[in-house]
Amino acid sequence: MSKKWIIVILIVIPFVLMLGALPFVNRIHPIVFGLPFLHFWLFLCMIITPLCTYFIYKIQKSEGSID
Amino acid sequence: MQGNLTALLITSFIVLSVVLIGFIAGRDKKNRSSVEEWSVGGRSFGPLLVWLLVGADLYTAYTFLGLTSTAFAAGSIAFFAIPYTIIAFFVSYFYLPKLWEVSNQHKLTTLADYAKGRFDSRFLSLLIAIVGVFMLIPYIDLQLAGIQDTLTVAGTGYINIKFVVIISFLLVALYTFFSGIKGPAYTAVIKDILVWVIMLFLVVTIPIIHFGSWGSMIDKLVVEAPELLTIPTTGPKGIPWFLTASLVSGLALFMWAHAVTGVFTAKSADVLRKNAIYLPFYNVVLILVVFLGLAAYLVLPEGSDPRFALLNLIQMSYGGVVQGLAYSTIALASLIPCSIMAIGASNLFANNIYRDFINPNVKPEKLTMITRSMVFVVIGLALVFGMLFPTALVSLQLLGVSGMVQIFPAVVFSLFWRNQTKEATIIGLLVGLFTTFAVYATGNSFGIYEGFWGLSANIIALIILNPLFVKKIKNKSNPIIDQLFTKQ
Repeated sequence: MSKKWIIVILIVIPFVLMLGALPFVNRIHPIVFGLPFLHFWLFLCMIITPLCTYFIYKIQKSEGSID
Repeated sequence: MQGNLTALLITSFIVLSVVLIGFIAGRDKKNRSSVEEWSVGGRSFGPLLVWLLVGADLYTAYTFLGLTSTAFAAGSIAFFAIPYTIIAFFVSYFYLPKLWEVSNQHKLTTLADYAKGRFDSRFLSLLIAIVGVFMLIPYIDLQLAGIQDTLTVAGTGYINIKFVVIISFLLVALYTFFSGIKGPAYTAVIKDILVWVIMLFLVVTIPIIHFGSWGSMIDKLVVEAPELLTIPTTGPKGIPWFLTASLVSGLALFMWAHAVTGVFTAKSADVLRKNAIYLPFYNVVLILVVFLGLAAYLVLPEGSDPRFALLNLIQMSYGGVVQGLAYSTIALASLIPCSIMAIGASNLFANNIYRDFINPNVKPEKLTMITRSMVFVVIGLALVFGMLFPTALVSLQLLGVSGMVQIFPAVVFSLFWRNQTKEATIIGLLVGLFTTFAVYATGNSFGIYEGFWGLSANIIALIILNPLFVKKIKNKSNPIIDQLFTKQ
């Protein structure tokens, strides 16, 4: 898979997790790490999204498309 | 309810010390030597300072008080702030570095400056400046309400609240006038440390004080108020509202003049890329604080005013020293963003309204002085509006985000779309504003965030109308278009 596709997927992931999946995670159980499931999910998005940004940054750096 | 004298004294002491530091931060005359120095710190800030500044800018007293009161009154809908800010930082990764490079090259300090150069259109620039100033003043009022509420709870029976609010805002205006962006930047460090320490302390101890532990607080919520723990699937503020509000607010975030001011202080585009990665972590504290609004629902007597949910919860749980520290954190979280907002609005007014339309031949020294003096006008206007027309302000505040996002196509699309025309952009912007106001005024939002309707209409108008005007600009260029679209 080319790097361009990986970047596209990394861009899509946060939107799918935070917006697309929301109706399906809008629930209380199971409670994870003391957070109702909805809030645990939002917490998870908060960790995964910057990771996506970070990988995009690394790919772009290695390609030399940003300085 | 009677206030708490210890808390009041601690709050006053900390706020005054921080204002003093704000003055000291700007003692070097260089900070007031030009608009660029005064408003964006000569573009010299590294990643950490930009992180603190943008964080200080966006996580305001209103964020903490407003979201806890929403959680208290309406439950988990308040958590829309989490996806909203995450989306804002994620999307910003793709356009802020480009915007920074253009503004650095051409010495721009506002988005209206950018639009003027990018589209060769003073009219578009004026529109952006007017929307920016008009939406920002009500937002400054929200900060005003933040400090006023803090003083009301802590100081009732001891001080004249209105008088103290006016004095504290004049002090902020004065230190902003004097130090420029260096004032809020350095005091933001103190504010951010306090926010992190105090908010985490509250989040850990409040559940222990009232419920024994975090776990039993959640258990109690699950049993007694499960409806607060999920988002309603129908109704005026259900899931469609949650999704569209997060998205639209996320796109709007860096359209605000104060957010742009923070961004332009960065010393390189890479600082902004790194910040797009780190800024979401600011939400760790926010997500937990919103839970305190839910805790307040269980703890406070029935019929309490949602507006004071967090403040009353703090007063009831601690009193005295901790209350004072917590209140000073909230007071600072209202004064410091206010200072950055005043810089943003003054800059728009002085550069894009005064210089471009009233006095084009103004000398740089005079323009710097006018920009700085505008701080008093902006904060003065906010004070006057806040005290005279509190109800009209509520509408403007509700519409602020929806209004601001309408400049997104003009600012962000144009970084990537070479043949975007000024005519279609201006019409789109006006259509977007009009649609937003119409949806709000008629109340026909169909459970979707007003700004979403406006932005959709805006983009559709832009795309449909653009081909009509595109011929003129196909072969035309200007320095900003060259920089953006010519491959080196």
